[in-house]
Amino acid sequence: MKRKGLGFYAKIYCKILAQDLKSKMSYRADFIISTVGMICTNIAGFISFWILFRNFPSINGWSYYEMLFLYGFSLVSLTPVQCFFDNNWSLRQNVYTGDFIKYCFRPINTFFYYQSEVFDIKGLGQLAFGLGTLIYSWIKIGLGFTPLMLLKTVVFMITASLIMIAMQNAAAATCFWIQNSFYVLDLAFRFKDYAKYPITIFSPVFRFIFTFLMPIAFIAYYPSLVILRPDKVPVLSWLSPVIGIAFFWLSYKIWMHGAKNYSGTGS
Amino acid sequence: MKLKKYLTLTRAGIIEALQFRLSFVVMVIGNLLYLIVVYFLWKAIYASAGTDVVNGMTFTDTLIYLVLATALFNFMEMYTVWEIGRNIQSGKIVLDLLKPMEYRKYLFWSYSGSFVTQFFLTFLPTFVAVAVVTHGAVPMGINLLYFVISVVMAVSVNYSIDFIVGTICLYTESIWGINIMKQVVVLLLSGATIPIAFFPDTLRTVVNFLPFQSIYNAPLSLLLNGSPDTETLLTTLGTQLIWCIVMMAISKVFWKVSLRQITVNGG
Repeated sequence: MKRKGLGFYAKIYCKILAQDLKSKMSYRADFIISTVGMICTNIAGFISFWILFRNFPSINGWSYYEMLFLYGFSLVSLTPVQCFFDNNWSLRQNVYTGDFIKYCFRPINTFFYYQSEVFDIKGLGQLAFGLGTLIYSWIKIGLGFTPLMLLKTVVFMITASLIMIAMQNAAAATCFWIQNSFYVLDLAFRFKDYAKYPITIFSPVFRFIFTFLMPIAFIAYYPSLVILRPDKVPVLSWLSPVIGIAFFWLSYKIWMHGAKNYSGTGS
Repeated sequence: MKLKKYLTLTRAGIIEALQFRLSFVVMVIGNLLYLIVVYFLWKAIYASAGTDVVNGMTFTDTLIYLVLATALFNFMEMYTVWEIGRNIQSGKIVLDLLKPMEYRKYLFWSYSGSFVTQFFLTFLPTFVAVAVVTHGAVPMGINLLYFVISVVMAVSVNYSIDFIVGTICLYTESIWGINIMKQVVVLLLSGATIPIAFFPDTLRTVVNFLPFQSIYNAPLSLLLNGSPDTETLLTTLGTQLIWCIVMMAISKVFWKVSLRQITVNGG
C-alpha cells in the first residue's frame, strides 16, 4: 500500500465530516437536546465547584481562581477527545456485530477512517464554556498576556488533550479482547472529573500512580503549572509534551494491534 | 400468589447480573479510585479550612456521607431511561406492552435482581469498609432501621423520576441528552456530589422543596444521626413518603397519556 500524504488525509477528513454533519442534522431535535444536556453538565459541574469554594477559601494553597483556571484548562483540553474521537464509544458495538470489518477493507489507515467518521458537535459547547472560565480566571489572577504565554498555553493544551485521547483509545481498544468493554471506557471517561484537582492533595503513593500509571495529572495539573507558577515548574511539566505524544503513540499501536487481529464475526 | 410472578423476574435478574463478572471487577476498581480521590480531596479541604467542623459536619461525617452516596448511586442506578429509550428505538417495547403486567412494574421487577446483587456485592462491602476505616463513626442503633426504610422509599422516588424521564423519550426519541440532563440534575440537587448542608441558604431552601433530596440526602442524614428527635425523623420520612406517592402518581398518569403518542417502526 502506498503511503498517502497529509494533504490527502485532510481532504478526505473534510469529505467524511460533511457527510456526518448532514446525517446529524436530520435528527435536529436529538442534536439540540444533546447540546443542551452537555451545557447542563458543565453548568452543574461549575455549580458544585462554586458551592465547594463558598465554604472553603482555598484548597492546599490553591486559591479559588487558580482552581478555576485548572477547571477551565481541563475543559478545553478535553474538547478534542469529545469532538474528534467520539466514535470510540461505538467501537464496542461495531466489533460485536461485525460491522467493524468494513473499516478494515478501506485503502486508508483504519484508525484514521474509523475516528473520522464521527464529529461530535456537542463538544463545541464545552469548548466555549471552558474558554470562558479560563479567560475569566486568567484575568482575575492577573497573569498578564504575552505571545509566548499564548504559545505555551496552546502547546500544553494539546499535550493534555493527547493524554486524554490516549486513555480513551486504549480503553476503547479493550473491546477487541474482552466483551462488555463499556465499563472500561466509562472508567477512563470518569478520569476527566479527577483531572481538575491539584495532584499535591494526594499522598506520595497516589501521586505516583496518578502521574505514571494513570496519567490523570497530565490532563490539567502539570501543563497548567507552566502558566500558573512559572517560577517553579517541575521537570515533569516540561516533559509533558513528550509524554503526551508517547502515550498517544502507544494507544494508537494498541488500537491498531487489536484492529489488525480482528477476525470478524463471519456474517 | 401475586408476588410470585414478580420474584421470578428478580431471580432472572440475579442470574443475568452474575454473568458479567469482569464488568463487576472494573466497576469496583472505578469506585475505589473515586473513593480515593474523594478522600484526599476532602482531607485537603478540611486541612485548609482550619476547623474540624464545617456546616455541622466533620471530615468523617462528610466522608461517610459521600462514600455511601456513591454506594447508593450504584445500587439505585437502573439505567431505566436507556432501557426505555432503546426499547422504543428497537421496537421491543411492543412485546413488553403485550405482557400481562403493567410496563412500569415489569421494568422495575426485571431490574430488582440487580438490586439484590448490587446490595451484597457493592453496598454492603462499602458500608462495612467505611465503618471499619472510620473506627465505628457510623452510629449502629435504631438509625439503621430508619435508614433501610428511607432507602426503600428513595428507590421508589428514584425509579419514578427515571420512569418519567424515560417517558419523555417517547416524544423526543433522544436518549443521551435527556439522560445526561436527568443525571446531573438529580446528582447535584439530591446532595450526592456535595452534601446539602454545604449549600447556600437560599439554594438549600429551594432544594428542600424538590423531590431529589429524598433520594440521597434523606437516607444518609438519617443514618449519620445516631439519636434523631421524633420531629426530624417524622418530617424526613413523611416528606419522603409524600414524594413517593406524588411521583408514582405522576409517572403513572404521564405514561398512560403518552402511550397514545407512541410510534414504533418495526420491532
